[in-house]
Parts: sequence; C-alpha cells; structure tokens
Amino acid sequence: MRSFSGRGWTASLICLSVVVAACATGGGSSGPPLAGCKSGTTLATFWTSHTPPDSDSLKHVIDTYNGQSTVGCVKMVQVPGSETDVTKLMTAVRGGSGPDVYMLDRFTVAERAAAGVLTDLTKYGAGNLSSKYVDFAWKEATFQGKPYALPLDTDVRALWYRKDLLKAAGVDITPLDPANGPVTIDQVRTMANKVNQQDASGAYNVIGFVPWVDQGWHYTWGFDFGGSFFDSGTCKVTPNDPKIVSAFTTMFGDWAKALGPEKAQTWVSSFLPPNNPPQQWPFLTGKTAFIITGDWPLNWVKQYKPDLQYGVTYIPVPKTGDTPSTWAGGWSLVIPTGAKHADAGYDFMKYLAGPDGMKTYVTETQHLPTWKALGSDASLYQGDHVFFATKLLPVAKSRPPIPVGAFYWDQLSTAQDAVVRQSATADKALADVATNTNAKLQQFCPLK
Amino acid sequence: MIAVPRRLRLGKKDRSSLLVALPFVGPWVIGFLAFTAYPIYYSFTISFTRYSGFGEATPIGLTNYQHMYADPLFWKSMYNTLYYVALAVPVGLVIAIALGLAMNQRVREVAIYRAAIYAPSILPVYALTFIFIVLLNPRFGFLNYVIVTLGGPSINWLGDPGWTKISVVILAQLGAGGPALIFLAAIRGIPSELYESAALDGAGALRRFVYITLPLLTPVILYDLILGLILGLQIFTPAYVLTQGGAGAGAGQYVAGPDNSLMFYVLYLYKTAFQFTDMGYASALATVLFLVSVVLALAIMRTSKSWVHYEVT
Repeated sequence: MRSFSGRGWTASLICLSVVVAACATGGGSSGPPLAGCKSGTTLATFWTSHTPPDSDSLKHVIDTYNGQSTVGCVKMVQVPGSETDVTKLMTAVRGGSGPDVYMLDRFTVAERAAAGVLTDLTKYGAGNLSSKYVDFAWKEATFQGKPYALPLDTDVRALWYRKDLLKAAGVDITPLDPANGPVTIDQVRTMANKVNQQDASGAYNVIGFVPWVDQGWHYTWGFDFGGSFFDSGTCKVTPNDPKIVSAFTTMFGDWAKALGPEKAQTWVSSFLPPNNPPQQWPFLTGKTAFIITGDWPLNWVKQYKPDLQYGVTYIPVPKTGDTPSTWAGGWSLVIPTGAKHADAGYDFMKYLAGPDGMKTYVTETQHLPTWKALGSDASLYQGDHVFFATKLLPVAKSRPPIPVGAFYWDQLSTAQDAVVRQSATADKALADVATNTNAKLQQFCPLK
Repeated sequence: MIAVPRRLRLGKKDRSSLLVALPFVGPWVIGFLAFTAYPIYYSFTISFTRYSGFGEATPIGLTNYQHMYADPLFWKSMYNTLYYVALAVPVGLVIAIALGLAMNQRVREVAIYRAAIYAPSILPVYALTFIFIVLLNPRFGFLNYVIVTLGGPSINWLGDPGWTKISVVILAQLGAGGPALIFLAAIRGIPSELYESAALDGAGALRRFVYITLPLLTPVILYDLILGLILGLQIFTPAYVLTQGGAGAGAGQYVAGPDNSLMFYVLYLYKTAFQFTDMGYASALATVLFLVSVVLALAIMRTSKSWVHYEVT
C-alpha cells in the first residue's frame, strides 16, 4: 500500500482548516440569524401547510415581527399537510427535526395533545390569555384543562344563493334577505326545485340545492337541527341523538331520494370532482343556485367573478321561528414536542395570535378573528363579510374538542355517504358511528 | 462444544475472499439491517402495544389483532385491495405482454413506438392521477365521450362504488410500459431457430406464440406476477390523490371514495398511523399485510413448478 504523500497531507490540512474556519465563523457570529431580523435574536422555524393567498399574509406578519422583535427571528416553511393529515409534522418531531411552531387545525389540538405531539403551554403563561379569545376557540385549544395552542383565525358557514338563477326560474328571493331572519328548509326546497334542469338523458345540468356538498357536512345539519354530538358528562359521543338522526334523514336521505341519488352523485362527480379548482366551483359556474359554504369564497368571487349576483343568508332552519345556527372551525398555533427554540417560538405565537398579528392576518385573508377585542372592530370587515362576523359568529357552535376528533369526523362522513347513497338508514349508520367512536374514546376518559 | 459442519468451515483462502467481499456487501447489509430488518422487527413489537408514536408504549397483548377482527374498515380495506390485485395483476400482465410483442415488431419506426409506449411509465403516478380525474369526468371526460359515442352508458367512474376500483385498475395500466420492456427483452432472447423450425413444420403465428413464446416467457411472467402482487397490495398513491388524502374532504363528502370503495389497505394503515395516531394498531395492520404478501407470494411460487419453464426441453 502506498504511503500518504506530502501533497496528500497538505490537501487534508487545507480541508480541515476550511471546516474549522467555517465552524468558528458560524459559532462566533453576532449578526442577525436572517436578513430583516435584529441581532441577537433566536432563529425559530414555523411550519404551515397553508398556500397563497393565506401564506402570503402569514409572510407579511412574519416580516413585521422579525423587524421589531428582540427575541425571535422566524423562518416560515411551507410543508405538505391538511386539516387532519400531519404526517410531516409527526415524522419530523419523532426524528428530532420538528419545527418550533406549527399551524394546526384547531379541532385536532386535543387529539394531537393526547398523542404527545404538542407541548403544554402552561409554563409560558398561556392560560392567562384564555379570556382574550372567544370561548369555543379557547376550548378547542385545550386538552384535559391545559392549554396546548393559541387560537388564530376562525370561519363560519352560511347559505349562499344565486340571485340571477333564482329570478330566472321565477322565484321571489325576498324571503332570502337575511334581514328577514332564516328561511325554512321547506322554503328553500320549493325554491331550489324550480331551478333544477335536466338534459335529454335525465342528467342534471343545474341542481337547485345539494345539501351535502361543500360545507353541507354532518356537523352543519346536526347543529342546525339542534343536535348535540358529545356528552361531556358521560364522556361519550352522541351521533345518534334523535335530532341528528332527523337531520341526516331530512337533509341527506330524503333529499337525495327526491333528486335521485345516482343522478345527484353524477352531478357532484361532474361539477365537483376531486381537487376541483376554485374557479370551477359550481356556484360560480352557475351549476347550482344554493350552496352551504364558509366565508372564504368571498375572495374567490372577488378574484374570479366580481360581477356575480349572489346573496348570503342564514343556514335554513327546520321550522319557522327556530334559532339559526352555524359552526366555526379555524386554525391555531402550537409548539411541537422537542422544539429546540420553544421560547422564541412562543414569543412569535403570542404576536401572530395576538391583536396586532391577527388583525393583519384576518384583514388580508378575510378570515374571522378569535381575539375577542377584534370581533367588534368594524374596520376589519367589508361587504358580505360583515354578515359573517356580526350575525353568524355570535351564534356559532364548534366541534367537540375530543382526542378522537379526526376519527369521529371520518365516521360521521362515512355515515353521511351511506345515507345519501341510500345504503343505510340514518338510525343504523349513526348507531355504528357511536359504537366505533366510543370504543376509541374510552381510553381517554374522563375528560376535564 | 457443538461441532461446526464441515461445509461451513472456511479455509484460509475463503476467509481471505470474505475479507475482500465484506467491504463491498457491507454497506448493503448495514442498510438492510438498519432500514428494513430493524423496522420490521420494531413494527412487530409495537403491534402488541397501544402507542401514539410518542411517549411510552402500553403493552396490550393481542388486543390490536382482536380489534382487527371486529373492525369493519379492516375487512373493507382488505377486500378493496384484494379486489384490486385480482383485477389489476392479470390485466396488467396481459397488457404488458401485448405491448412487449408490439414493441418487438420489425418496422422501421419501432424505436418511436417503444418510446411512446414506455413514456407514461416515467410520469409520476401522482401526476397521472390528476390527469385521470379529468379524463374520467362523467359529463366532460374523454373516456365517457368515447363510450357514449359508441352507444354505451355514461359511467360515473369516481362517484359510483362499483366503478371506482376499476378506474384505478385502468389508471395502473398507464405504467405497463415498464414490465413491457422486460417482456420485450425476454422475447428477443428466445432463439430464432425455434420459430424457424416451427414455421417449417407449418405452425402459424398463434401456434408459435402459444407453444414457443408463452412457455419461454413463463420465468418473466412469474417475476411480473410476484412483483405485481406485492406492489398491488401496497396500492396507495392513486387512492390518496383521488380522496384528497383520505382526509374526509372533497366534493361528495366521502372519506375514501363512495362507500369507502377506495379505502385500500395501505391508505387505511396510513390514516390509522398518522391521522388517528394509533401506531400500535397500524403496526398490527402492517404485520398482517406482510403475512398476506408472503403467503400469496409463496402460493404463486409453489404453483410455479408446474407452469414455469426455465429452458427448452
């Protein structure tokens, strides 16, 4: 074997000195961790699965924070994920390379906290902020009485209607004015049926109203019929509450039967296929006259069809005089287990989920705030957004913050699908949901 | 002291050869032990626990396996997966052989045909699935346009539980170019004298295919069957895209297609592990899938003795 030559030793020494110099420079630097941050701040990583325009707004808030904070310097990273899919987060945390702050769907906070993915924020004094947030949002941010998240934005659902389609079908749209209070389901059914259009083969070109698409979820109609999805006293989910059964029967089973389940599903597959882009949303393209959705399509209308003749009103109620209802979702900020710069991360969370950061975020995204004081700030809302903020948010309910929330959602969706397709009665499908979900839930009971 | 069998004793020359070989095979062995053998062992051990992936695992014996028996989604996902395998593997085999034969034609522009047939295989399944959603639209999709023009019915490919899995089977055929290349290589490896002799004896094209080509392709057919079986049991990406991650979102408010008809086994395993944070149960599901794969692969291997021909006799 040849001996190591003098040239080889020289090359090795040069390499070694470069590495040592690089380490020395990195360790001894006193400059800011990122451009736009102040010197001496700690770099904190923030992960979000949001995409533009929401992620653009987050970037604006972060730029402002970085420019003024003497504690943290935040780097935002967009990662794959969705409301219930946090695979990237879980594998990273388990591998010791998770972020310092993560943006998590708020209704899954209890579930992720129970799994051990999140840091208890009690030591940061997060509990003292409870009175600053709207009640349902704060409840969702806690598990077993401890805070695991700071609430960020929220959203609520409403009935949207196309004025032009309804008028063209000879419908008097006066009752739909929200100033008249909520319309009844029967009224909407009568109006919607006048809009239905079928081609020669019987396939629907336009359907007045398909109550189970978009945000016409199990929770939407269950709450609307006055149902309760969880009994905290017995620590059991209650999907077979007679009011929820009635909601499923009326809005899914009977409605699909009247339209023809297969024809209605063909319309859904045609005009709302998987991963449908917002510009092809059937409400925009005139394929439906009514749809249950949230406040976020206000931006789609502005962007893709600003001349749309539409209105927004309460979700229709079962009978005249019933109190209108809706439900609210939204996101939150959490510190994953094992975060390396949790202190800097929490400092950023307080800013983004506080009055200044949240104001910028909800103003730009047209989402709704969870910070109570911002709820009455009229400058945040424009146009129809005022209705969502002032009329719907105060009556909004929220999904039960239980540690099997994602599983419960899946079970309810499976039941909804079965009832729409007429393959099960609401009674049977929801009884199965109760059995399956309670079996999973019992390991966490009692819940505080 | 236990006597080492004579055939395992290494001579001086063998030991020397082993020392030379070890640095070459070592990285693979280490990779296999660290990234395949250990995870399988670890997954097997936590299948007997209740474990979220964080904190302490709680031993619960065989509870996860008992729960599987009573879990309707376990049976549903197993049925969906076996249905898919039973359909996709033979269909894929026939199409791959047909494409291999087509790629073997003696025409001047065969190189162009080969490239065109192989091209879809190099596209990511993720991208192909997005394209497929458009092609399968019941009202505006190309596939239904052709069927209806020919007098057939309009099919709700992704909204009718009877057609969703067939849609995925059709989608899988876009990747048939890969196996077709292997069949092409095998076809070209068949000695031409066999065909010449058969032709002299008066055998037509069909007889030559049935009695020469097909028997001599059986080793590759066996390989393709086992590979197709293993990959089919792990079908995931198309279902993940079509159901938007199985996250309960989407047009028809399905979880994984209408009637959970696209809830394939690995999608359910994935949801159990990462959406429901139940790593113990997910590991039990993984163990069962491993056993099912081994049993089916062994069954095919066992029958292969009677139909695979490794040489001309």
